[in-house]
Amino acid sequence: MSKDKGFWPVIFLTLVVIVAIVALTLTNGITKDKIVQAKKQAVAEMLATLFPDMQSFDYDEESGLYTLLSGGEPIGHAFMAHGRGYGGTIDILVGVKPDNQSLQGIKIIAQQETPGLGAKIINSSFLDQFKGVGVDEVDLSRNGGKIDAITGATISSSAVVEGVKHAIMKELGSQQKGGNS
Amino acid sequence: MSSFAKNFTKGVVRSNPTFVLMLGLCPTLAVSTSLDNAIGMTAAFVFVLVASNILISLIHSFVPNKVRIPVFIVIIATLVSIVDLMMQGFVPALSKSLGIYIPLIVVNCVILGRAEAFASKNGVLDSIADALGIGTGFGLAIVLISFIRQLLGTGKLDLFGHQLFSIPGFSDNPISILMLPMGAFLVIGTLLALFRWMGVIKND
Repeated sequence: MSKDKGFWPVIFLTLVVIVAIVALTLTNGITKDKIVQAKKQAVAEMLATLFPDMQSFDYDEESGLYTLLSGGEPIGHAFMAHGRGYGGTIDILVGVKPDNQSLQGIKIIAQQETPGLGAKIINSSFLDQFKGVGVDEVDLSRNGGKIDAITGATISSSAVVEGVKHAIMKELGSQQKGGNS
Repeated sequence: MSSFAKNFTKGVVRSNPTFVLMLGLCPTLAVSTSLDNAIGMTAAFVFVLVASNILISLIHSFVPNKVRIPVFIVIIATLVSIVDLMMQGFVPALSKSLGIYIPLIVVNCVILGRAEAFASKNGVLDSIADALGIGTGFGLAIVLISFIRQLLGTGKLDLFGHQLFSIPGFSDNPISILMLPMGAFLVIGTLLALFRWMGVIKND
């Protein structure tokens, strides 16, 4: 067949790739702003579940700290925490009250724990325990803290608690020292 | 029967990609945990399959044989990237829950299989019928599997945030194992055995 002779296969494949690049560039142009907007919207919705009064938020990229605003006044801070769970990393959003002394609440953003067991960490009966707890009281009750582990899901429960504790130390520990000195 | 109808029905039953050809089982098993996922996956899959079948049947007479497969892969990968970007932009929640399985449509053997076995040898209209038939077969299979897994695995049925149905008493203590990856194998194996016993699928 003549279409298989010489350089034609190479040229043909190159042409197909060029058409593909053009098509993808056009699609990227259409969707780029939408994707950025959707991501921002998702972050805003995520923050609003912890701070229902929130109107807008500032994000400090360096520290990863969100500052929630309502009518220009800060109503709290939020940051991401990561726990090492049974089925992989658990991503947790932690909200703290404006004085940085107690928790507004936490929310599980992503987890792959065992359904029916570890995945119970997304239930409000577990998460509600974090509401209003002092930042230095976050620990499992057997370690002297205020959080009760879920029966049959100790690893997942402690992964959440450890992740939150670690993130509080990282985000607020340095800030508080800076503020007090 | 016209060749359009024949090519369509063939994909739904006689060469159903999931239950008969047993192709593309990886995404079928992985995303069949909820009806939302199953429907979203079917939409993405059917779009890519129909578009790739159309494009490939249009250009098949010019494609040099030596670079046939690379050309198909480039076309399929481009279509999948378009779907992926569109989903991220317009239905971010669905895009998040389908995760890696959208980009993986590129290597879904059903799509490359139809390109190679059908679209590269037939006309546009027949290729569309073939794609729609195979797509419907895939969709019915994945919706059926996720229906069973969601109903028995969580004790209730949700569709796009609305609760359709809940089994009283059962939803507190459902068969959670069906939501795990091995649950997908249990369901698909049981369905296959059932279909063969009923004679819907014949060994040939």
